[in-house]
Amino acid sequence: MHWGKAAGAGLTGLVLLASPAWAQQVAAADDVEDLSIEQLANVEITSVSKAPQSLSTAAAAVYVINHDDVVRSGAISLPEMLRLAPNLEVMQTSPSRYQIAARGFNGNDADQNFPNKLLVLIDGRSVYTPLYSGVYWDMQDVLADDVERIEVVSGPGGTLWGANAVNGVVNIITRKASDTSGGVAILQPGDQYSSVALQYGGALTDTIDYRVYFKDFYQRSFNTAAGVSAHDGWSRPQAGFRLDWNGGPDLLTLSGDVYGGAEGQPTGPDEVIGGGNLTLNWQRQLAEGSSLQVLAYYDETRRNTLGAGGFNLDIYNLELQHNFRLADWNSIVWGIGDRIEQYQIANRIGTDNSLTWEPGTRTLNLANIFAEDRIRLSDSVEATIGLKAENDPYSGIALMPSGKLSWQASSTDLFWGAISRSVRSPTPFDTDVVELAGTTRFLVGDPNFKPEQVTAYEAGYRGQWFGKFTLSINAFENVYDDLKSIEPTPAAFLPLHWANTIRGDVHGVEVWGSLQATDWWQLSAGVTAQHLDLEFEPGASKILPLSQTGDDPHHQASLRSSMNLGDDVNFDADFRYVGALPDPKVPEYVELNARLGWKVSDTISLALSGYNLLHGQHLEYAGGAEIRRGVYLETRLRF
Amino acid sequence: MKRRGLLLALLLGLLPGSLKAAPSLEYAVKAAYLPKFIPFITWPDGAFAGADAPFTICLLGQDRFGGKLDQAAAGLHAGDHAVQVRHLAGPDPAANCQLIFLPAGSDPALVRGTLDAMRGRPVVTVTDSGLSVHGMISFVIESNHVRFDIDDAMAGEAGLAISSKLLGLAHAVKMRGQP
Repeated sequence: MHWGKAAGAGLTGLVLLASPAWAQQVAAADDVEDLSIEQLANVEITSVSKAPQSLSTAAAAVYVINHDDVVRSGAISLPEMLRLAPNLEVMQTSPSRYQIAARGFNGNDADQNFPNKLLVLIDGRSVYTPLYSGVYWDMQDVLADDVERIEVVSGPGGTLWGANAVNGVVNIITRKASDTSGGVAILQPGDQYSSVALQYGGALTDTIDYRVYFKDFYQRSFNTAAGVSAHDGWSRPQAGFRLDWNGGPDLLTLSGDVYGGAEGQPTGPDEVIGGGNLTLNWQRQLAEGSSLQVLAYYDETRRNTLGAGGFNLDIYNLELQHNFRLADWNSIVWGIGDRIEQYQIANRIGTDNSLTWEPGTRTLNLANIFAEDRIRLSDSVEATIGLKAENDPYSGIALMPSGKLSWQASSTDLFWGAISRSVRSPTPFDTDVVELAGTTRFLVGDPNFKPEQVTAYEAGYRGQWFGKFTLSINAFENVYDDLKSIEPTPAAFLPLHWANTIRGDVHGVEVWGSLQATDWWQLSAGVTAQHLDLEFEPGASKILPLSQTGDDPHHQASLRSSMNLGDDVNFDADFRYVGALPDPKVPEYVELNARLGWKVSDTISLALSGYNLLHGQHLEYAGGAEIRRGVYLETRLRF
Repeated sequence: MKRRGLLLALLLGLLPGSLKAAPSLEYAVKAAYLPKFIPFITWPDGAFAGADAPFTICLLGQDRFGGKLDQAAAGLHAGDHAVQVRHLAGPDPAANCQLIFLPAGSDPALVRGTLDAMRGRPVVTVTDSGLSVHGMISFVIESNHVRFDIDDAMAGEAGLAISSKLLGLAHAVKMRGQP
């Protein structure tokens, strides 16, 4: 929720959740010596799910954006990087703001429904805000150079990751300090967006590597649909570090970031954002095939607009995870975690409308315990069963079980199926909010608000053909209950209150693949189709239509071309198609991002990058600004 | 900074073995790769000091393998040459290396200097992933897998012949005659 907006506009972002994905290495380092040179290329060196397994056997719809994709896309922000994932809906509404969802429910701003069913983790640190379960995308940034990969899982991940992993998990993993040694200065002057970044790192000792970085940028305002400036330009400096210690059986990573920013508003003073975080990840190898991990972090965020309210939020998180094998056919991971969230909200008081909270200060505690067993039934068939129990401060204990089956039909063909349950826990925005129209209580939270629930049925295929062609197909049927709605007070009508009177299902298909056309040209493409079939529960008042849950396109498609034109020049182009949004209506559009990169020498690289090149401006979301075309020139100096 | 690093390294050297750096899986894989490259490469006759001189893998700078490389190379032979691993603090012309590995985190100037010094000599230069300058073979991390690129042009200049099988296993190859 953006606090500077009028009362009808919203909250975006939070979640309570539990366990992150962190890289780990259970596969025994002792085993690889005897592998053939061909087999070595197939060893998975970091993990995808909580227990390491090769990505190609994960029984889930996973799309991985790797380091080169990120750098070569020229993406200027984390949300722009996420446009590379065909299984996400990414909609920009201002230079700083995005609505991002997987498999629907991208929100409806006018109805105060915000995308809140995605779990987003940066190196295991959850970044959705507990205030409303959505993500403040303007508060998350990572240097493109430091992204190792981004794993985008569409579908529920509640059993491992906890509440809010209802429709998807975005797991951003940064590079180890040893992978970013040396210095780099990046200058990106552009017509809409200009940035400067500086990073330096190296080995401090034989076992300790480090890096430090700084980045700042300015992005100009967009125009409103009426053609006048939306006064929504912004800038946002960020600095941070990472320290890796490889101490025998122990791997320790300490990382942190601080940032601040100022975002223009159509009227009134800037919204000022800021925050910082410190994360400690400790992994210890125990006996063969067994490991222990502890993740601790502190995360502080604040948003304030002079005279229009804001909040301060402190999050303390501690979690432990243990992986081990039981016999040679069971791979078990279990863990516990606890998160404390403290916030103070400053009410926004206006003459026409006010956004207030009762209470405005709370300390929430979210605890969880989970276990998952991956069972090898035969050489080619694996079953995974798991359960997470999460105790949230509003609705008590929620159970999130899942069962998955995968069949490795050949070394290059995998079929999988899964049934999982996940929930979105109630938040202060669902329970404590009080919106006033003048002095009248217009809309209030519901202390008995129930978790929004999903039971998902999924099936998929993943394959590699002729060594050149990869294909993933995922089909899903998500059955929802207790979705958020709005209901009047009996007889009196006002105040309206949040309720759980929508249910139904969403089904769809996601297909993506890549083709290594020649040794210098790779093509990749993705298509998604989904259909929402929702209804009101009996007795619902239906004072807002079903479109209050979200304004999602039925179809999306993307096509990406990556060319190496000789050793030193590369050219990348990304086309994307987003189908029309039904209610409120937003036309379909096609856009193109492209980048030409030239490595002048070992120390100097240049790139010309452009985004949204096909139109001067286009609309992506109802009520949002017109998204402008932009170009920038990148100079990269290594030292 | 360098001095302190050395001091810390010495102190760590006094710790019991279990607390010394164990390699990550990534470096265990890389350590397994290095000796396995040898059978696919043909060195010119003059590359060795004598018919029974050892085949020397030189590890320049930091040892990220935590002993894994020594372990992987133990007891191996390249033709009549027994494979040995030498740990070098810096380039040493007297070391008579047949293969040099430059780890991530090395000073870029040292990497560049070493590659320049080795250019045209029958020494296979292997650079770690994460380095901006590349030797004949350079490790790359591709979607969580350790792969390698080969610069066959550079190998050709040095009189080394890399078998087509190894070229076929490479993630990317810069062929001879290519600019």
